Amino acid sequence: MMPLLNIKQSWAQIRAVIRLEMRKTFFAKRGLWVYALALGPVALYLVHSIDMLRDRDRPQALAAAHPASTETLHSITRGMTRDEVVAALGEPYTPPEVFHRRSHERAVYRYTDGEADYSFTFFDDELVGIGRRERCNLTQDSLIFATVFQFYFLRLAIFFGCVGIFMNLFRGEMVDKSLHFYLLAPMRREVLLLGKYLAGLIATVVIFTTSTALQLWTMSLHFDARVIDDYLRGPGWSHVAGYMGVTALACLGYGSVFLAAGLLFRNPIIPAAIALVWESANLFLPAALKKISVIFYLQSLCPVVAPPGKDMPPPLALLISAAEPTPAVVAVTGLLVVTLVVLLMASMQARKLEINYGAE
Amino acid sequence: MSGPPPIAESLVVLENVSRFYGEVLGVNRVTLSIPPGITSLVGPNGSGKTTLMNLMTGLVRPTRGKVRVLGITPAEPEKLFRLLGYSTQFDSYPKGLTGYQFLYSFLRLFGMGHSECDQLAWKAIERVNMREAANRKVAAYSKGMRQRIKLAQAIAHDPRVLVLDEPLNGLDPLVRAETIALFREFAAQGRHVIVSSHILHEVDMISDQVILLSNGYVVAEGKIQSVRSEIREHPMQVLIRCNRPGALASKVFEQDHVVEAKVHADGGGVLIKTRDADRFYRMLNQIALNGIEIESVAPADDNVNSVYEYLIGGEESTK
Repeated sequence: MMPLLNIKQSWAQIRAVIRLEMRKTFFAKRGLWVYALALGPVALYLVHSIDMLRDRDRPQALAAAHPASTETLHSITRGMTRDEVVAALGEPYTPPEVFHRRSHERAVYRYTDGEADYSFTFFDDELVGIGRRERCNLTQDSLIFATVFQFYFLRLAIFFGCVGIFMNLFRGEMVDKSLHFYLLAPMRREVLLLGKYLAGLIATVVIFTTSTALQLWTMSLHFDARVIDDYLRGPGWSHVAGYMGVTALACLGYGSVFLAAGLLFRNPIIPAAIALVWESANLFLPAALKKISVIFYLQSLCPVVAPPGKDMPPPLALLISAAEPTPAVVAVTGLLVVTLVVLLMASMQARKLEINYGAE
Repeated sequence: MSGPPPIAESLVVLENVSRFYGEVLGVNRVTLSIPPGITSLVGPNGSGKTTLMNLMTGLVRPTRGKVRVLGITPAEPEKLFRLLGYSTQFDSYPKGLTGYQFLYSFLRLFGMGHSECDQLAWKAIERVNMREAANRKVAAYSKGMRQRIKLAQAIAHDPRVLVLDEPLNGLDPLVRAETIALFREFAAQGRHVIVSSHILHEVDMISDQVILLSNGYVVAEGKIQSVRSEIREHPMQVLIRCNRPGALASKVFEQDHVVEAKVHADGGGVLIKTRDADRFYRMLNQIALNGIEIESVAPADDNVNSVYEYLIGGEESTK
């Protein structure tokens, strides 16, 4: 009966800590930048979608005014002259862009079939280059989303968001000289730690999963309802769930790391830098050490593998490529184990916690 | 059959407790057994009062030694703070809370339900006469009001041991009298009220016993009267630099208030222990007239000397 009573009481204490922390984690002035980090990509996708929506009817209008069939466009080959191309396709939809250099001339002619833009580059009247740029499509945007998610959102936004929220749970109160308020209550330090961790977790999960959902929504805003329906009937919902789940797990993992760091370090920059280097160097670490990192598990869980871009510098390409695929069950279990171990270490540190504001 | 609790379980006990902050001494080799009643920790700023209170409550841990409060170690806060309330010296509070919310949220940390916390919070607010200000933000309180709300926090759960760091600071005379009455009421119920102050006369009228601290050491403890006599009887040590230390030593040793006189190790002076500072200094004037050239006179025991001066000052000011 006693253990049951203790659990019930500890849970009531945890809820009391969460209630007190909520206001601080969600509405603290010094935490406003976390919202900026989380909502940055949403703003980018929104601007892109608005731009695409504004431009949606333009290719069809141009194609109607300057008709050129897809077959004819595909029949154009290198080596043709300008007159031959104009004879086959008619005048370009925009006046040719002509550049002169010494005695040579370079000109670009633009056409559209309503689905894609074609550019034909002539060098001294000979066709030397054919470019084709498709209109935005969901597959392409999904890959861009995957890249932004893995490169920016996981590695920087959630990472630093967790630094801001979790490190402040203890360290912020030491700076404000109000931590003793908790330490005067009849509460095990482990219970306090768990309460604060859950408060931070709720805040980060709400902020960042909302951001993920908003990113997905704003990214798909400019696509036709039919395209979205097809996507959702296919892999769409599992992608949405996957990204939200990875976001929540990232908060869980990084949260534990920075909660512990807040107990160990006075200056948040030092542990943040150490963790960032450790997480970034993950690819180069031996197999055993790779598993002592959060990003190792998160990357394996991302629903779409972000392809390194052709023009991407090799170090960046390496950063977003998954180290080695790990089954989802193993990745989730591994992340939970890492989180638990870090929390256990943090609770040992919390037991030794002293109030010495003068040293802060 | 349940008899009275073992003695150790009714005392606040510190056994050979030391605490260092790096190389800085907090308190050193403190051994105390504090019985129920009002106990005052008195000493100048930096004498170790707050460190001692933080040690009792587990906010800092001893470098050496053991602390037990009614048989419970401060390493078990989940038990300790059910029977101990601590009003700290820290004048900072969780942001944005009213006085009532401050107490209510603190009580919720005990794991109690809403109605119980609400009831206890208002009871504590009433006891410190803060009802009218209870719904105002703590940040807008005056120093005295913040002291009272801290006191309310310490007593809200009806603890058996109250530890109060400078609780009378910033209180006007009327509130001070009310607060002292509250301490007396607690003590009359057989509870511990441990109060710190750097002004002896502020607490000596209300204290059942006094613990005198200086530079991290307990220099005297006991009933207020015995502490005063202990201080008076405590020999004061003085180093006198002169041209004829041997002659000076034999001369002063004839005086009944001189406990000890020995030539300093470097041969250039005499270390003298006396029980009567006034007579000693009068005697010194006569000696100087008798051909011994005195170069300097300096207290060789700063701790006791400063506390002595300090206490006499406090005593004077009460007259």
